[in-house]
Amino acid sequence: MLELSGISKTYAKSAVKAVDDLSITVKDGEIFGFLGPNGAGKTTTIKVLIGVLCADSGTARVDGIDIAADPLGAKRRIGYVTDNPELFARLKASEYLNFVGDIYGVDTATRQARVAEYASLFDIKDALGGSIGSFSHGMKQKLLVVASLLPDPQNWVLDEPMVGLDPRAAFALKETMRSRAAAGKTVFFSTHVMEVAEKLCDRLSIINKGRIVFTGTLEELKEMQGADGSLESLFLELVDEQAEAGA
Amino acid sequence: MSVFWSLVKLYVKSFYNLPGKKSPGTIAGSRPGLKPALKAVGVGALAILAVGNFAYLFVMLNLNLYQGLSMIGLQGLLVLNAAVMATMLTLVVGFMTALSTYFLNDMELQLLSMPIQPRALFAAKFVAVYISEAAFSLFFMTTAMVIFGLKEGPNPLFYLWGTLAALLLPLPALAACYMIQIPLLSLSRFLKNKRTIMIIAGVLGLVFGLAFNLYFQKMMPPVADPAARASAAAGPDSLVSRIGQAYPPALLAWRAMSDPVSPGALVAMLELVAACAIGPALAAFFLSGAYARSLVGFNESHVRKLSRSGAGAFIARRIRAGNPFLALVKREFDMMNREPMYLLNGPFIIILMPVIFGIMFVVQKDTLFSDPDLAGLRALFDGGLGAVIAGLAGAFLGSGTSIACTAVSRDAKALPFMKSLPVKPSSYMMAKLGHALAFGFFGSAIGVGLVAVAMRLGAGAVLSGGAVALSLSSLFNMLGLWLDTANPRLSWDNPIAAMKQNPNAVIAMLGAMALLGGSGWLSFRFSLGPGAFALWFGAVPAGAFAALLAAYPRYAEKRVAVMEG
Repeated sequence: MLELSGISKTYAKSAVKAVDDLSITVKDGEIFGFLGPNGAGKTTTIKVLIGVLCADSGTARVDGIDIAADPLGAKRRIGYVTDNPELFARLKASEYLNFVGDIYGVDTATRQARVAEYASLFDIKDALGGSIGSFSHGMKQKLLVVASLLPDPQNWVLDEPMVGLDPRAAFALKETMRSRAAAGKTVFFSTHVMEVAEKLCDRLSIINKGRIVFTGTLEELKEMQGADGSLESLFLELVDEQAEAGA
Repeated sequence: MSVFWSLVKLYVKSFYNLPGKKSPGTIAGSRPGLKPALKAVGVGALAILAVGNFAYLFVMLNLNLYQGLSMIGLQGLLVLNAAVMATMLTLVVGFMTALSTYFLNDMELQLLSMPIQPRALFAAKFVAVYISEAAFSLFFMTTAMVIFGLKEGPNPLFYLWGTLAALLLPLPALAACYMIQIPLLSLSRFLKNKRTIMIIAGVLGLVFGLAFNLYFQKMMPPVADPAARASAAAGPDSLVSRIGQAYPPALLAWRAMSDPVSPGALVAMLELVAACAIGPALAAFFLSGAYARSLVGFNESHVRKLSRSGAGAFIARRIRAGNPFLALVKREFDMMNREPMYLLNGPFIIILMPVIFGIMFVVQKDTLFSDPDLAGLRALFDGGLGAVIAGLAGAFLGSGTSIACTAVSRDAKALPFMKSLPVKPSSYMMAKLGHALAFGFFGSAIGVGLVAVAMRLGAGAVLSGGAVALSLSSLFNMLGLWLDTANPRLSWDNPIAAMKQNPNAVIAMLGAMALLGGSGWLSFRFSLGPGAFALWFGAVPAGAFAALLAAYPRYAEKRVAVMEG
């Protein structure tokens, strides 16, 4: 379970709050979508959630563990897929997987089995001996996904995971999200792809200018807006309303 | 602004890592604090120190040449020598700079997709590279002009012609670099890889550095016969003079500066302008298209794929569990040693410096052993000074790799990801220290070993020197890491900026040199006994290292928590 409570964050040298009094709870067995326009505060929220950034106020809990009080305990329960796969270009894919496996303490047999399973699923098994620098954007993204699943985390946090994935890999990713949620694990992801969020999410939050403007199911969003359109039209309507209210 | 000037601005900012304007989103009403002011003063002082260091070397070189040449009445050749040296320096340094910036990054592919004339693209790149070459040439020529000016008091026009010549001389040299590189990179596929050309540029740089060192050492006092030595290096029959006389731009610059007020000087300068403009014009006219085409497909790479059965075997063989801390240390090694720019400027120093000192030793050997003042040192070497020198040399090599003092800056891009892992920040940072200390050990061993061989030191001196080297290099590496933890450079486009444009690397290097030099001088000046020697060079640095090591993890935890890379 992931809980963000009253989170606010202002970056150094900035006068604007990137995230303002944000609260979200993601339950076990749930696929939770995190939506918002560019610069709304999605990545900042995720970075606070996974312990990369310290919030100015509020608490982030992972399975009840306060990440500020016990960062290692909380991080051990998270598998994270960053939005920037341009990492460690000088390492080979197998070296990167071993690095992540070592950090999470995954034993050899389990590691080999999971690498074989997920590398096959995401179609990068034959590229494991290659240098990450030679990978395409999509292949790097797939490698990050595989690495994040190595420790079989209770909570899977993905920042824009669909970017760069081919349709087959995108399908595999969605299926993996569903199967993990079905197994009682938490899936939290940010996206701009409304169709994905619409079809995949049990619940979702919409963030705009650092503030949560909606949290609930798609049906609840429709009810709130008094309209029966697609998530895309509801999202645009809501964000526009916020912009007008703020103007 | 025209396309050309927009490109020049873009390239200059990217090459030299210039800061942008303050964004309007900064805190309203915030005023410059003490920290930025102190930082600016510190960086300024460092720049002055670094420039002063090179100025000293160039002044000494020109001064020795002048003194030698004036004994035989050929002091005018100093100017020809300066023109040739400025050309050669810019040719070699320009070749490396042009090669290493031939393809900057994927931004260039973006530029190729825009409606930009190839000529504007090439000319803008040429101008951006030229700026550093012109500064370098001017710097070298100015030192020669100052020496010659102070000694000979020439007409003020001498300085004007000299300055113009300094700015013009790099042009044909740089054009020649591109005339070689563009066809080469257009024809060869293997060169169209940033990593490959960085390695080649690095090796060329080392060869050039060694050649310059050899030339420089030949010019340095003490000398048995300064006139003969200067004449051999820069006299009428020397290689430099022969190159100068065969190379029209250098000859024209020399002619103008030798008799600056004559009408012939103006004619020579006009000829120099024409001669120097031809190369860039020809390159821009004939090679711009080829240059733009050669950028297409740059840095292309293909993934090496395994067969279906091979992949299974690969996983069984290569996917294996290991120790988490060792995984962090291994990552530090891989991330540094597989980046050519980091390898050549970092760990490779352990090999390069002994070669440079080896050249100095071989060139100055006769002088060293014939100097009556130095001959008496043998007894001092045997009496403990040998161990001190070996220890200081080892400490210098062991701490000269810039591994620790750039460790956080180099890792800036990976910092958010590393912070997301269940790793204690102190373990992450201690892995960086482990990496630096491993090279500290190798550097210490090589430094002590070389001095021991050169000075024929006994086992006791070698052991004492080794302990000193380890103790001091560990302390310096610890201080370097502390420095980069306190003030890392977390924002950069090009990895070079994290190392070569990192003030922490300069502070660490100059600080280590000052401390080692000062300590060496003190031990020589006061003839330290074995007890004082062991205390000052062994116990004090070891104690300081232990104290810093004990305090560092808590500090690292605090600092990493607030880093927003």
